[in-house]
Amino acid sequence: MGGLLTEAFLSSLFTGAIVAAIPMLLAGLGEQMSEKAGVLNIGIEGMMLMGAYMGFLVAFKTESLWLGFLGGILGGVLVAIVMAVLCVRLGLNQIVIGIGLTLGVEGLTALLHHFQFSRTYPRLPAPERLNIPGLTDLPVIGPSLFGRHLIVYLALIAVAVLAYLYRRTNLGMTLRAAGERPAALDVAGGNVLGIRVFATLFTGGMAGLGGAYLANIGAGLFIPFMTGGAGFIGIVLAMLARGRPLWVLIGSLIFGAALSMTTALQVAGSNIPTDVIQMLPFAAVMLVLVLFGRRAKLPSALGAAYERGAR
Amino acid sequence: MMKHLLISAALSVVLAAPAFAADVDTIAILTPEQGSDYGWNQQGVDAAKAAAEATGVEIIVAEGLGYGDVRAPMREIAADGADLMIAHASGYNTAGPEIAEETGVAVAIVDSPDALVPGKVADYTLSGHEGAYLAGRLAAKMTTTGTVGIVVSGEPPSWNSQSAGFAEGVKAENPDVKILYSVIGPAAYSDAAGGNRVTTSVIAAGADIIFGQGNGSSFGMIQAVESNKATDGSDVLFIDVIGDKSELDKGHLLTSVLWDMTPVYTAMIEDLKADKFGTHGYSISLADDSVKLVKTPQVDEKAWEEVMALREQIIAGDIKVEPKFEAEDVRALVTVAE
Repeated sequence: MGGLLTEAFLSSLFTGAIVAAIPMLLAGLGEQMSEKAGVLNIGIEGMMLMGAYMGFLVAFKTESLWLGFLGGILGGVLVAIVMAVLCVRLGLNQIVIGIGLTLGVEGLTALLHHFQFSRTYPRLPAPERLNIPGLTDLPVIGPSLFGRHLIVYLALIAVAVLAYLYRRTNLGMTLRAAGERPAALDVAGGNVLGIRVFATLFTGGMAGLGGAYLANIGAGLFIPFMTGGAGFIGIVLAMLARGRPLWVLIGSLIFGAALSMTTALQVAGSNIPTDVIQMLPFAAVMLVLVLFGRRAKLPSALGAAYERGAR
Repeated sequence: MMKHLLISAALSVVLAAPAFAADVDTIAILTPEQGSDYGWNQQGVDAAKAAAEATGVEIIVAEGLGYGDVRAPMREIAADGADLMIAHASGYNTAGPEIAEETGVAVAIVDSPDALVPGKVADYTLSGHEGAYLAGRLAAKMTTTGTVGIVVSGEPPSWNSQSAGFAEGVKAENPDVKILYSVIGPAAYSDAAGGNRVTTSVIAAGADIIFGQGNGSSFGMIQAVESNKATDGSDVLFIDVIGDKSELDKGHLLTSVLWDMTPVYTAMIEDLKADKFGTHGYSISLADDSVKLVKTPQVDEKAWEEVMALREQIIAGDIKVEPKFEAEDVRALVTVAE
């Protein structure tokens, strides 16, 4: 194994881990707020995919990555509005609607891609990197960890902001109340449906941003079905994180590293069969579920529609 | 006795009927992605159209069918009157023979050379290994970091063969050049983000020329090549396969191992008419230009001339490039950690 720990292996590992982790981190942070408020947002994969499509479309048309990210957020929110209306306002089954939304968005974005991009496959120019002085020049990890696009650092800042919001603000308390004891929140004068709608839309925005990152930074183009289950991994991360944004970050880095490890091991010339290497991310998911899954604490009212006076 | 002879004669005529030449009025091609990907799908569709035109038959094109169960569209196309269905994806090689058996319509599949059934199932596991060998020679001549990369979105036999051909070409030109090898996923043919991620990692590990095989995921590889500098600060170059992406190039395409499947599909139609379908495989080669390298402005003129001279040697049989279809053969040729 010592022969594997080369500069090539480590560079490949760190570079790939960050690229793979950020979309899952953004989706996981979004899902976490939704779950805190009691909404199990299975439609996050569709929100992410719509964010990828809208993010790429806007970035391509305006030649601005930042407007593209805004477009991605908007795309995710648009799908989230449907989820909020059907599941929060009308109280329909969150799992069924979530799956339906994902399938619908998959078909819609594939169709739009077919008519708009399938003959030209436009690509975005290389994203600008923000090099952190002094750190980017570090050997091996420097360019991988400290020479990324600004959105990567903003995603990391979002972890701290959300941790503060959940622990130190009234909004954080209200979100938790909506997920744990919605009736008590209602009695105390809180707006259960309002806070759940807000959380659902926030989830859509974050998932859309994750999708836009995947399309604009991760791939530089949009391809149908390109999220490849990243949104669903976001749900797993949120559930395992027990309400803590920092754990979502750690989880996404573990999954990102496992995914990147598949490349790094191959690049390092490992003699392990490719089929075994490709199993690593899935093995990591199962290992984490076995180790921490039973300790995952979910809100009491998660997945249950709230209706005033209902018993 | 006479009665038995007459019955035997009549039976022999009936039983011998399938051996008579078949009429071929309509062929169909089924592709997993749109025939506009400048690669596997587009080359397949374009070649099928050209073969249909050359042989005077109608063609049905069913594009974007995905990589899942293709049985339903195959049944529909059979019902529409197709005499030959070209199932243009390795993921279709389970359903293809089943539908051929069920409907009686001849089906051509890929990556299953052992699945031949006379009159029903033919295989066209093609390989541009000779072209890939030349691309490897070219890459070894032009690398500045001394490291090249192979990125693939799966390990079907055709691509293994080209990966092995490329690696052999690199080694033949310069045994000191390191060859990094990475598979995006078990069947990540349309995983553009994965293609970008893996290619970025391979570039970070030192490669300055990427030999990429990936359908839709190729575009992610190309974006990574355009977005990253090599470890020595030079531009990274990309070698594509099957299709020609020159018109999309932004100055990073070194060459492409171009396939022309028209002779293969034309031969299939002729074989079906002559009742030889399903009795042998098909191949493409440098000799008839069904495999060739694309020249781009990024190619060094002297290196190109040398590579073209090597091409002549392969055609003349002076250099032998054997196809190697197993993934193990590819891994045996790439750089391994001590």
